[in-house]
Amino acid sequence: MLANICTGAIKGIDGFAVSVEVDIAPGMPTFSVVGLPDVEVRESKERVVAAVRNSGFDFPLKRITVNLSPAELRKSGTHFDLPIALGILAASNQLSPQATEKLKELLALGELALDGSLRPCAGVLPMLISCQKLGKTAVIPPQNVLEGQVSSAPFITPHTLKELADYLEGKTDISSLQINYIPQTEAEPETELDFSDVKGQALAKRALEIAAAGGHNVLMIGLPGTGKSMLAKRFPGILPPLTQEEALEITKIYSICNLMGKSKLLTRRPFRDPHHTISDVALIGGGSNPRPGEVSLAHNGVLFLDEFAEFSRSSLEVLREPLENGQVTISRAKETVSYPARFTLVAAMNPCPCGNLGNPLKPCTCTPMQINRYKSRISGPLLDRIDLTVNLNPVKYTDWNKHSEGETSAQIRARVLKAREIQRKRFAGTNTTANAFMNAKQLKEFCPLPAGADAILEAAMRKFGLSARSLDKILKTARTIADLEGVAHIQTKHLVEVMQYRPLDRKGVADV
Amino acid sequence: MNTSISAAERLARIQLNAFLYFRADWLERLIEIFGSAQEILRQDARTLSQEANINPDTAAKLLQAALAVNPQEEWDKTSALGGHIYIPEDDEYPQSLRNCKEAPVAIYVLGHLPADERACVAVVGTRKITPYGRRVTRKLAEELAQCGVTVVSGLARGIDSEAHAACVRLKKPTIAVIGTGIGRCYPAENRSLEKALLEHGGAVVSELPFNSPPNAFHFPRRNRIIAALSQPVVVVEGEIKSGALITAKLALEMGKDVLAVPGPIDSPQSGGPNSLVKQGAGVVTAVADILDYIPQASRFGLDLRFFEHATQAPDKPLEELSPREQQVMQIVGTGMCSLDQIAETLGSDVPETAGLLFELEVKGFLSCENGLYSKNKF
Repeated sequence: MLANICTGAIKGIDGFAVSVEVDIAPGMPTFSVVGLPDVEVRESKERVVAAVRNSGFDFPLKRITVNLSPAELRKSGTHFDLPIALGILAASNQLSPQATEKLKELLALGELALDGSLRPCAGVLPMLISCQKLGKTAVIPPQNVLEGQVSSAPFITPHTLKELADYLEGKTDISSLQINYIPQTEAEPETELDFSDVKGQALAKRALEIAAAGGHNVLMIGLPGTGKSMLAKRFPGILPPLTQEEALEITKIYSICNLMGKSKLLTRRPFRDPHHTISDVALIGGGSNPRPGEVSLAHNGVLFLDEFAEFSRSSLEVLREPLENGQVTISRAKETVSYPARFTLVAAMNPCPCGNLGNPLKPCTCTPMQINRYKSRISGPLLDRIDLTVNLNPVKYTDWNKHSEGETSAQIRARVLKAREIQRKRFAGTNTTANAFMNAKQLKEFCPLPAGADAILEAAMRKFGLSARSLDKILKTARTIADLEGVAHIQTKHLVEVMQYRPLDRKGVADV
Repeated sequence: MNTSISAAERLARIQLNAFLYFRADWLERLIEIFGSAQEILRQDARTLSQEANINPDTAAKLLQAALAVNPQEEWDKTSALGGHIYIPEDDEYPQSLRNCKEAPVAIYVLGHLPADERACVAVVGTRKITPYGRRVTRKLAEELAQCGVTVVSGLARGIDSEAHAACVRLKKPTIAVIGTGIGRCYPAENRSLEKALLEHGGAVVSELPFNSPPNAFHFPRRNRIIAALSQPVVVVEGEIKSGALITAKLALEMGKDVLAVPGPIDSPQSGGPNSLVKQGAGVVTAVADILDYIPQASRFGLDLRFFEHATQAPDKPLEELSPREQQVMQIVGTGMCSLDQIAETLGSDVPETAGLLFELEVKGFLSCENGLYSKNKF
């Protein structure tokens, strides 16, 4: 007998429909799965055998062949357990004809426990979204109910294989398999981290505001304990809220990585802060069975790299592609997948290996050579993708003590939203989303040099040794500052402010 | 160049010079025994040590170092760079160096050494420069150069580079005594400074063979040449154990005056000069303090008048600044201030403060390092 069950699989961050064909023929008892299954799919055989038996059915002692079609695409994930089990039940005539008919209208996803109960699995949301056009009712594990609700596809959530079989046989009503889960309607508690917690550091706060408004990347250089991490953690709080599409994109990525937790649609911008010992693959994504890396988990959000100079050189270099293109393409001999990775990079590092360079209270014990080596770990091409750099200096006790109330995140965010709105209108109908991503043509159109700017830029080049290469970045950043102020054209004072955020462009002192 | 010495003898001297610890007074003694430098090179280590009564190890090392060098090649390479190799018998060899106890047997020179009677002052100090050290070095070196004094230093990072760069900016000559062969530049980032220094009539001096690498033990040796060429020696900044203090010690042994720029008592970089002051070194608070120590014979032609009022009047008049800019200068005072501190004391926001600081920096009143602003001048 032959049975055909519909299910899904994942490629990149999208799903595709897979049909599970089960053939049971007389012969020596064997059970084989073909159609490029990964290890976890092959292992599903053992779970299926136990789950079928423990649900009160017989496991046929015949020659069983399972084919996953399309056969040329690699399939991974544990959600093939349920469709394979259903296929075996149907092919061995343990289900009535009308139950088999009903089965054709289902899209089955779910991992089976040995006792026949359904367990949660990864990637449910993208598979549901991609298979929606098939018009089938999805069967998903109860724990994945939130993803079902996000997808808006019809679905049922049986607890066990037996419960599902009873429903197919018409013994129970569909309503028993539908969880009327009412998600918490109140918004997620606002993040408790607020910019007003950070004392002093007006320059760094201003730089982060500009970064949030224009999508620029930021590098903070400062002594240990000056508030670099504190500021970075508060950065997502001043970013504009996620749009519906953005939220769906990142929810799909989190679904694939099985990181959904208890949330429904992710409504907060992700904040990822990998440790500096992270491997290249964990950072960028990949592996023989490609998975999204930290850069994709930070998609539409913030990637915070603390101790920037301590990351391995190769990890930092692989960041260049996502910073440039907003996505990561992973090529393997068998397949090529792309993961979105448009994030704002917030990096933090010490001024020197011992951390005391420029500290008025403690002497730096590094040799000039060590400092040079430390700084040169951040390559030029990478620095070219960072528009704003700020030095953070220790906050004096007097500063810490007085005027405790700085601006709140809400106040800063209001200004950021206004600037973003201006940019939305400016770039309407193009792919550009923010000033930081302007191309050469847009730069020319939207960033004309103000009168009198030549003198300033000339002075800056002479005094600070700014290169012509950094000029573009200066203009982009100045554009954002002008947007924050709500003025139509870049003014000289905006350019002058940007000079504050380019300390690394300054040439060495002994240069003549 | 002294023509009484044959080319072959000159080359032999250059060969002997390759042994780092070889000195002119040894050569004199050896020549008394063997007759000429060429003859010395023909000896084996044992004869050398027995006849001249020197340590057999030293004799072996001397010959080994000397025979490892191809003097003709040294000569050709130096000439190709436009340089010269002088021996003490040459008129071009500085008199002050000839008087030194451990005078090198040969020196490699790029550019032009000043005449013997010219006033030369060494300005030396740490590689780990502080903004204070930078400010002081720049001021002192500039004023010395304007006076007509040649500044001598070591082309290292920090104080040395700052001192040379100040002279180069004024297009005045300055002498760099380096710790590598003249065929190399160390640190590499000073290559452009070295080039500019030669363009403006300065000189690069080394006693080491043409391609010698920057070995750590070369630098204390080169310090004795800095000390020998100069009078007085000014130590701006340096830790208690530092090359700058070695230079000071060598200078004292040669009977030179050592002056120190006092600094904050809690700054490690001022530990050296402060301890020199404690031991009785002259204190430098203005360039006039240095000029006082220049020997009478060298004072001719110096523009001493230039500094009659220099100690009081700041050379950048604050009056030309706007009231707001003057306020910033007041806030910065003599310390180091971050933009945040300035903005807060000023009661201003980041954009306005950034504008003021940019103006002041471009006009040359302030400079910024690691996000901290300090005054360029007292």
